[in-house]
Amino acid sequence: MRKQFCVYAVCLALLNLGSPQLAQAALVATAQAVAAADARTADLALVNSTLAREQVRQQLSALGVDPAAVDARVARLTDSELRTLADRMEQMPAGGDALAVIGIVFVILIILELVGVIDIFKKA
Amino acid sequence: MQPAAKSAPVRASQCSQERAPLFATALALIGCLGLGGCVGSAQVSTLPAEWPARVELRGTPFYPQTENHCGPAALATVLGAVGHPVAPAALASEVYVPGREGSLQPELVAAARARGVLVYEAGPALQDVLAEVAAGRPALVLQQLGAGPWPNWHYAVVIGYDRDRGRVLLRSGRDELLDSRAALFESTWDRAGRWAVVLVEPGQMPARPDLTRYMQAASALESASPPAAAKAYDAAARHWPAEPLPLLGSGNVAAAQGEWSEAERWYRAALALDPASAAALNNRAEALARLGCRDAARRALQEGVSHVAADDPLRPVLDETARTLAADAGTADPAVCREFTVH
Repeated sequence: MRKQFCVYAVCLALLNLGSPQLAQAALVATAQAVAAADARTADLALVNSTLAREQVRQQLSALGVDPAAVDARVARLTDSELRTLADRMEQMPAGGDALAVIGIVFVILIILELVGVIDIFKKA
Repeated sequence: MQPAAKSAPVRASQCSQERAPLFATALALIGCLGLGGCVGSAQVSTLPAEWPARVELRGTPFYPQTENHCGPAALATVLGAVGHPVAPAALASEVYVPGREGSLQPELVAAARARGVLVYEAGPALQDVLAEVAAGRPALVLQQLGAGPWPNWHYAVVIGYDRDRGRVLLRSGRDELLDSRAALFESTWDRAGRWAVVLVEPGQMPARPDLTRYMQAASALESASPPAAAKAYDAAARHWPAEPLPLLGSGNVAAAQGEWSEAERWYRAALALDPASAAALNNRAEALARLGCRDAARRALQEGVSHVAADDPLRPVLDETARTLAADAGTADPAVCREFTVH
């Protein structure tokens, strides 16, 4: 029931507010039809993308993205990508660096050794 | 058979869950690294016999990453492999987020899509990803190399596997060829939400296409590159001849260019496959109205709506279109509209 309500609300919101991806407000966009046809995505289908777009723009700027590039970057995101970013930009994984991992594993091993969970560093 | 595909768009929601408690993760790591006790990944050792025992996509370019720039480097790697060579430094301005010292999945996807390729989410099984690799497509993957309080998100590119040795081959960081134990790779990939994407030239099909994920990827191409989206829909219509969604997509591409007559034919074809498709019904009515055939549009909608389920999520859209069309009921259509009312 809740899912369905969400979808109804979302469809209406889309109709009323319009979306930059919809050339004509009265057409059902393909992404919307795909979401509606698939129950798994129904509750995260589409939102007021205008709001999400502005939110993502501000977040990216605040995180140091070149202001000249922000608009182009935001413009190419789909509604569902915008929503993902608007909701979770701070917590989303930001893939960065693989170079520190050996050190991390080593630190974990030492901690486990010290607290007595493991005993793999042989003492002479 | 395949495990059911997870819904595509929000991978990020899994991240917090992926951070296993420190000790559990550490013990797992020790199992793999310290004691060498991991058996080979079942996913790699049980690859179908007809697949090659070893695949290495040697033609995949290699861009050693600079600090924190594994996103641009990995993206450049997969883009180069499909004939869109671009330097990681150039991609950084499109995908790097300084405040997060990394790159975000949706932005990587969008940057690839902006070049007119279909960004298809493979998975969720490792075999799904390796199927794409065996078909010649390197896969961009997200890994969680760290653990607990030391998360370490990392993008790499799967370029092959070795079934007998239980290995996954990667372009990763500064390693041109990282020969990773399949079980270890799979656990780092699993902790990052099993996210993997491959770039598909529009018109081609992924190795293991899933209708919903394919159509999500294709519909996202509509604004980036309408001709690419049209090609992707054509391929989908050939692959899933009984599905109305690809035809709806083709209609929407035509409609976005103002080709209402062509769009109407696509929507009609979609309805022929599935009279209960609310989207095709709605859009056909809209196309007819745009062609100046509002009476035909009203009638098509009235007749068609009886096929649509009462709880169809798109029902409110249909009602809204019907209301709009009802505004000038009573005026007769020009003669040219007659073809649309003959069944």
